[in-house]
Amino acid sequence: MEKARKYQIIIAGRGGQGILLAGHILGKTLVKKGYYVVHSETYSAETRGGDSRSDLIVTIGEEPDLIRIRKADIAVFMFDEQMERYAKWVKDDATVILDSTYIDKPTKNWSKIISIPFSKLAEEKVRNRRVANMVMLGSLSVITGLFEVGLLKEVVAESVKPEWRDVNLKAIDVGFEAAKEMGLG
Amino acid sequence: MRVEFISGNEASAEGAMTAGLKVYVGYPITPSSDLFEYLSEKLPERGGIVFQGEDEIASINALVGAALAGAKAMTATSGPGLSLMAEGIGLACMVEAPLVIVDVMRAGPSTGIATHVGQGDIMQSRWLSHGPYNLVAFAPFSAQEAFDYTVKAFNVAVRLRLPVILLSDATIAHTRERVVIKESGEIEVEDFKRPTVPPEKYRFYDPDPRDLVPPMAFLGEGYYIHAESLSHDERGYYDTRPSVYRRLVERLVKKVERNKKSIVASKSYYTDDAEILFVAFGSVARSTLALVRDLREQGIKAGLFRPISIWPLDDEKLIEASKRAKKVVVVELNQGQLVEVIEDALWHHQRYDVEVLSLPMILSETPSPDEILDEINSKGWKLW
Repeated sequence: MEKARKYQIIIAGRGGQGILLAGHILGKTLVKKGYYVVHSETYSAETRGGDSRSDLIVTIGEEPDLIRIRKADIAVFMFDEQMERYAKWVKDDATVILDSTYIDKPTKNWSKIISIPFSKLAEEKVRNRRVANMVMLGSLSVITGLFEVGLLKEVVAESVKPEWRDVNLKAIDVGFEAAKEMGLG
Repeated sequence: MRVEFISGNEASAEGAMTAGLKVYVGYPITPSSDLFEYLSEKLPERGGIVFQGEDEIASINALVGAALAGAKAMTATSGPGLSLMAEGIGLACMVEAPLVIVDVMRAGPSTGIATHVGQGDIMQSRWLSHGPYNLVAFAPFSAQEAFDYTVKAFNVAVRLRLPVILLSDATIAHTRERVVIKESGEIEVEDFKRPTVPPEKYRFYDPDPRDLVPPMAFLGEGYYIHAESLSHDERGYYDTRPSVYRRLVERLVKKVERNKKSIVASKSYYTDDAEILFVAFGSVARSTLALVRDLREQGIKAGLFRPISIWPLDDEKLIEASKRAKKVVVVELNQGQLVEVIEDALWHHQRYDVEVLSLPMILSETPSPDEILDEINSKGWKLW
């Protein structure tokens, strides 16, 4: 059987970090790009703290079967607790992206680890820690090459409330620039 | 036509609006509530009505009224709510009111686990009300199918004048996927079957002999309409004579059988040479398909038959898919319900040579392919 291109992505962190929105926006962007995307969410009852997880399965050229990921090719951890909890869902050779604001060192020796202080950048450069998720998506565009940052910004502009538009778009630029400066793309 | 990234519940709501939904009445229940919420925002913009009944009983009865007045009508609920709707669904069958009921299955029995998935409503969807009747149920396995089969559910409901159930589940309902949304004109949308005779010659239950379905005049149009839940003749007049009762009930049951070809739907994967045929539906079919693909890579001749119409079952396609099968494994998220339907169908077609194995998964999550494989291995069946 012919193997289509397939990516399994996990994004996890604490409730309140915008994990679910990040998954939704990423999925919407990849659908606009023309890919098949399946996105499921897991979250605890608390609105702040607790676990938050977005699973995305992206297939190019074939309709997907799975709903939940088996093992992630790309993992984004925004908080250390969830990194420890969900490390078992990540392939050894995965690209693992960490928010170094909250994660000192990785749980496992994944083959490709990228640490960027998303939350710190959000606070220092956008003056709003809550948009760390958008900083992350800006960086993810550079790191994965799966989608253009312009397309991401288009989706964000039409998805978030007008009063939050500019701050989110700025956060994406911050993440994009940070990853570029690190020579990741 | 547009491409959206939406959940199964949102896709069902979009499908209903494409099909011409005019009246939604419901009572919120997890995991169906977000469908209600979505429609409450979108349907009024398209000229429809969204109303919260005081409970599920009121809601289903209000829908019967809306349907008899000529509105395409829908509700969404989950197992506990569907139980409350049993009487109203029986009424809709008897008075031949076309409705669509979305049942987003959750873990049961009783109130079970509200936020977790189950597939335990297979028998309930068919037999929930008392007495002899028939209805139709479709089970989508993706957000796209939630859209497509909500449209089809309306088409079948108005074509056959009966309630149609969309048997979704919590996983399909809440997973976001790429969905192609079509408008009426881009996808087939059927209208009510309307009378061709003047009011004085019209009888509300006088069937077209070809499909056994009586054309439908609406309340308030000047036709005489008597919606009778008791045994009735073609005019709707109460009549207990055995011949009248038999004519009515046989027609209510047979109208699904007679029109089966235009209702049934299924999909077969890798079945041409499959020696082990898996059968699964809804979200469980997603994992089962992934498992079948794994097995194929190992050189094992596995296939999948996925019923989309559960009631009635696409038994001809099942027989075709199982032509080389020695074993049929039915995977489902309950104690073993679909297996009864599959076994019945195989026996009906004299396939006594096939061994039917039931793989009930008592979980409150959609099992992963590995969990299904573990369960098979724990049975010691030696399938390969």
